[in-house]
Amino acid sequence: MRESTIMFLHYVTAILIVITGLIHLLANNDPVIGATIKANPVLYLGNMAIFLAALLYHAFNGVRVILIEMVPDRCWTKWISWAILIVGIVTYAVGLQVLMVALGFA
Amino acid sequence: MASEEAKEYVLPPEVLEETMKASEELWKPVRKIKFRIYKYNPRKDYAPYWEEHELEVSRGMTVLDALLIIKGEADHSLGLRYSCRMGLCGSCAMMINGKQMLACQTRVLEAAGSGDVVELRPLDNFPVERDLAADFTSFFEKHRAVKPWIIRNDDVELNNPTGPYKQTVDEYARYYQFTDCIKCGACLSACPTAATDYEYLGPQALAQAYRYIVDTRDNGLDVRISVVDTEHGCWRCHFAASCSDVCPRGVDPAQGIQLLKKLLIKRKFGFKPHKPAEALPAKVKAEKKG
Ligand code: SF4
Ligand code: SF4
Ligand code: FES
Repeated sequence: MRESTIMFLHYVTAILIVITGLIHLLANNDPVIGATIKANPVLYLGNMAIFLAALLYHAFNGVRVILIEMVPDRCWTKWISWAILIVGIVTYAVGLQVLMVALGFA
Repeated sequence: MASEEAKEYVLPPEVLEETMKASEELWKPVRKIKFRIYKYNPRKDYAPYWEEHELEVSRGMTVLDALLIIKGEADHSLGLRYSCRMGLCGSCAMMINGKQMLACQTRVLEAAGSGDVVELRPLDNFPVERDLAADFTSFFEKHRAVKPWIIRNDDVELNNPTGPYKQTVDEYARYYQFTDCIKCGACLSACPTAATDYEYLGPQALAQAYRYIVDTRDNGLDVRISVVDTEHGCWRCHFAASCSDVCPRGVDPAQGIQLLKKLLIKRKFGFKPHKPAEALPAKVKAEKKG
């Protein structure tokens, strides 16, 4: 994947974090809006799944950028990207499972 | 007639006297300044060290003038790089009291301010060649990597030109400021990303990539993408703008890099930076002849 695609997704996920994070905050802090959102648990799970994906992508890409700058050797650059991708996918899988259990889907 | 015209340009004696006086004032020693100079020859010295020299300086004396006096009178071995002595060649950039500046464009008293010490060392983020001269090998490799020349696909026109390529004033204005770059390296030296990521292309090379990509005569966006749109390319710029802050030519490489990023994103949605400029057709010439 081109660096511009990765960074474009970095900016898109930043916007997604704000939107899905806001829904998450409202669901848990505003009794009226919270009740409406939680009335549809599948949609809420979808929101949380997107929130988690965006958050992990944004955070892990940030770590990747820092590591690439700290260890600029070109052969390390590829390894760092792959390692971060694998750690990111595993973390997402675990996180999604936790979410499903917490929201009563498993 | 000729002598009458010549007379018009002779300065009146009082103006001439005033000019001479001002010039004398400019070069009259006014203050003693201590120069703290970094010395290091990587081929010979175990570690860098500092050397100090004191000099009576005048208001007009530049750091380069002072260094040449020191080199001529006190330390013949002093290594420094310079050529034009008028801020055009970019050879004499160095750290002057901690800031990237051209030695030939900086007056000693301006650098010293209210103090009486001027500290000189080679540019940060560059390996040392000798004393104040930095090694520019990797800097110029990065510059070359972005292919800083016009790339065209119309071989027929290139081999048999029918006229100049068409470009409006607005199109020229898009890249004009970047043509002012003298490759002095000050921007790369001030860049915090380059301080840790030595593979980072850097503000100079990236701004030049932008300069050529938006030149309507150029058709090399796709060729340059493989160089600038990489892990160590334009996306590593965090827009601290220290590069633009120190540029002695007033170029704004930080702006160039942000515009380059914008251009790369827009390209994802099918936008091209411009239509390739056509050669002003031969018919223009033909019409003139006709
Ligand atoms: S952009 Fe400015 S600071 Fe950088 S190399 Fe060119 S002239 Fe020097
Ligand atoms: S704006 Fe970018 S290139 Fe310029 S100093 Fe900051 S990080 Fe470096
Ligand atoms: S000697 Fe050429 S820029 Fe200073």
